[in-house]
Amino acid sequence: MEILRSIYEVAGFIVLIALGVGALEAYFYYHFRYYDRPWFFPVALAAFPIGALVAASAIAGSYEFSLWFYFLLAEALIAAAFRYVVKGRHTVPYLLLAPAFVGLALLLVYPFAFEVYLSFHDLKLNTIMMWKNTGRIPFAGLSQYVKVFTTSPLSEVTFWALLGRTLLWTFSNVFFHVLGGFALALLLNNAIRFKGAYRTLLVIPWAMPQVVAVLAMRGEFHSQNGFVNIAITKLLAAFPFLASLGVAPVQWLSDYPLLTCTIVNIWLGIPFMMVVILGGLQSISSSYYDAADIDGASYLQKLRFITVPLIKPVLMPAVTLGTVWTFNNINVIYLVTGQAGGTEQADILVSALYKAAFTYNRYSYSAAFAIVVFALLFFISVTYLHGFDAAKEER
Amino acid sequence: MLRKITRWFSATAEDASAVLRDPIQRAKFFKYLAIHVIIISTAALFVYPLLRIFSVSLRPGDKLFSTDLSLIPDGATFVAYASLLRDTMFLRWLWNSLLITLATSFIGVSLASTAAYAFSRFQFPGKKAGLILLLSSQMIPAGMLILPLFLMIMKLKLMNTYLGMIIAYSVSSLPFSIWILKGYYDTIPRSLEEAALVDGTSQVGAFWRIILPLSTPALSIAFLFNFTTAWNEYLVARVVLFSSQQYTWTLGLFELQGQYITQWGMFAAGSMLVTIPVLCVFLYSSKWLISGLTLGSVKG
Repeated sequence: MEILRSIYEVAGFIVLIALGVGALEAYFYYHFRYYDRPWFFPVALAAFPIGALVAASAIAGSYEFSLWFYFLLAEALIAAAFRYVVKGRHTVPYLLLAPAFVGLALLLVYPFAFEVYLSFHDLKLNTIMMWKNTGRIPFAGLSQYVKVFTTSPLSEVTFWALLGRTLLWTFSNVFFHVLGGFALALLLNNAIRFKGAYRTLLVIPWAMPQVVAVLAMRGEFHSQNGFVNIAITKLLAAFPFLASLGVAPVQWLSDYPLLTCTIVNIWLGIPFMMVVILGGLQSISSSYYDAADIDGASYLQKLRFITVPLIKPVLMPAVTLGTVWTFNNINVIYLVTGQAGGTEQADILVSALYKAAFTYNRYSYSAAFAIVVFALLFFISVTYLHGFDAAKEER
Repeated sequence: MLRKITRWFSATAEDASAVLRDPIQRAKFFKYLAIHVIIISTAALFVYPLLRIFSVSLRPGDKLFSTDLSLIPDGATFVAYASLLRDTMFLRWLWNSLLITLATSFIGVSLASTAAYAFSRFQFPGKKAGLILLLSSQMIPAGMLILPLFLMIMKLKLMNTYLGMIIAYSVSSLPFSIWILKGYYDTIPRSLEEAALVDGTSQVGAFWRIILPLSTPALSIAFLFNFTTAWNEYLVARVVLFSSQQYTWTLGLFELQGQYITQWGMFAAGSMLVTIPVLCVFLYSSKWLISGLTLGSVKG
């Protein structure tokens, strides 16, 4: 019974979306097709604002006549634009694009704008009921932005410490991803047996659902039952001299959380780089290496002057993607440390932002924090891509 | 003997008469041996956590916390699987995930398929701006939009419902799907549609009858991408869903491992049940998935 009801609910929603898309298309079709008829304006102004009012009341569950006036104004502007500017040109592409872009506007651009709005106001646990009932939040000006740099998003760690940790986290992860991926790809690129089988085994960390992979790895770092400490204990039993070098089982999750997260994430990220680099290596023609062999080049020289330059066009986009992914990786950090007594020693910018919003309920603060992080990431990406383009032109 | 082994290890072992005596062949033998040893040990390290979940899931209840490292434990049973299916709502969680994921993938791919066609075949004002918007949307930190989406869902009174989750997920993979599909449409020759247009179909008819059927591979990649993204999602589900009736499997598993330490065996059993189908689908489709990834970046 429950199952039937859930199917009914979801199917009904999809039908609703289909109807919405149909209405949207009909609306734009009217504006594209009949923009030059004498009755274009009167019909548009009579029909659409009422329709929008009905739809809005149905969604909100309450009825507010003053909305009609705004809809009328908007419709007048839209109709005028279609009549005097668009004039029915490019009908097909715009009709094709309309549903996707309305979806993106509602669920990507609007939330973004809402985040900016939030960051200048004060929404927290005390004011959220007021916002729910009346839709109003106290204005706060720039004070949230000041707080981002002066107070801690959680309870002790500061913005600057988080920034440093994030840069360290991103750099070390991407470095080891590329290093490990490159090494494995070079090994796999030999003419060896079981290549397919090895490749399959090596992509398993990437192929597993991330939640399972991270939680499983977290279990391996458990101080008593985890593989890491068991292995260390067994090593110590076999080679007692290691103890004098300072090798001993440690409390990974509580004493070295950032190191644990980094190891887990390196394990997770190597397969992607390996696959991308292997694809690049296989596309390098062997004639380059044959020519180098005739010239008597050593292995390292071939690596330095043939492989690395030729792999760059493949590697650069992958590194860019990997950097953005690692910078934004909440999953690993949250799943490893989220529950374990709430340690803050492993948090990076994005995970602190998530915890500030949903563990500490500081919504506006977290919004301001998010805008700052976004600006930072945007700045880094633009500088990086700029440098990348410049390097491209040099060649 | 040695020659046989060399040939066995190396797919292109040359016809060497005396591997042992010939120093070049000997070096080659050791080189391949070293490669295999390194790869096998790395692969063991990579696969080990999965094997260990498997081994834990087979342990009888009283040995869950042993420090035993063997793959198949003494007295292996399927008790954990049975109690997972009987005592928890695991099947319900899987069902919730499946419904949400199918609905979002369906919506996402349908919207992307038409938008990508417009970008691939037409010239219109705002085309470049639209493509730039798609690209730059990838730069928005994933965690950033969770908060406003959460507040929107709260305002629409859709907390703890399927619809709230579907709304939150539906456009998250849209830019990437549009990008993949546009790249694929670009490779389909225009003459196919032109022929159909001469025969009297409309532009939309040509898209529906010719382009869509031809793009089945790319559509399945986009569908798969949407599907895995939503299927493995955790952070949005964490804040939108709060009753265990409505949980997706990611939340359910986290709860099994997080709150009651006694459920370690059930956590392992659940992980196995989720991972095996995902692993099969991924390995089966990885070739196309990866070519889709590079298609998107190269066409940039």
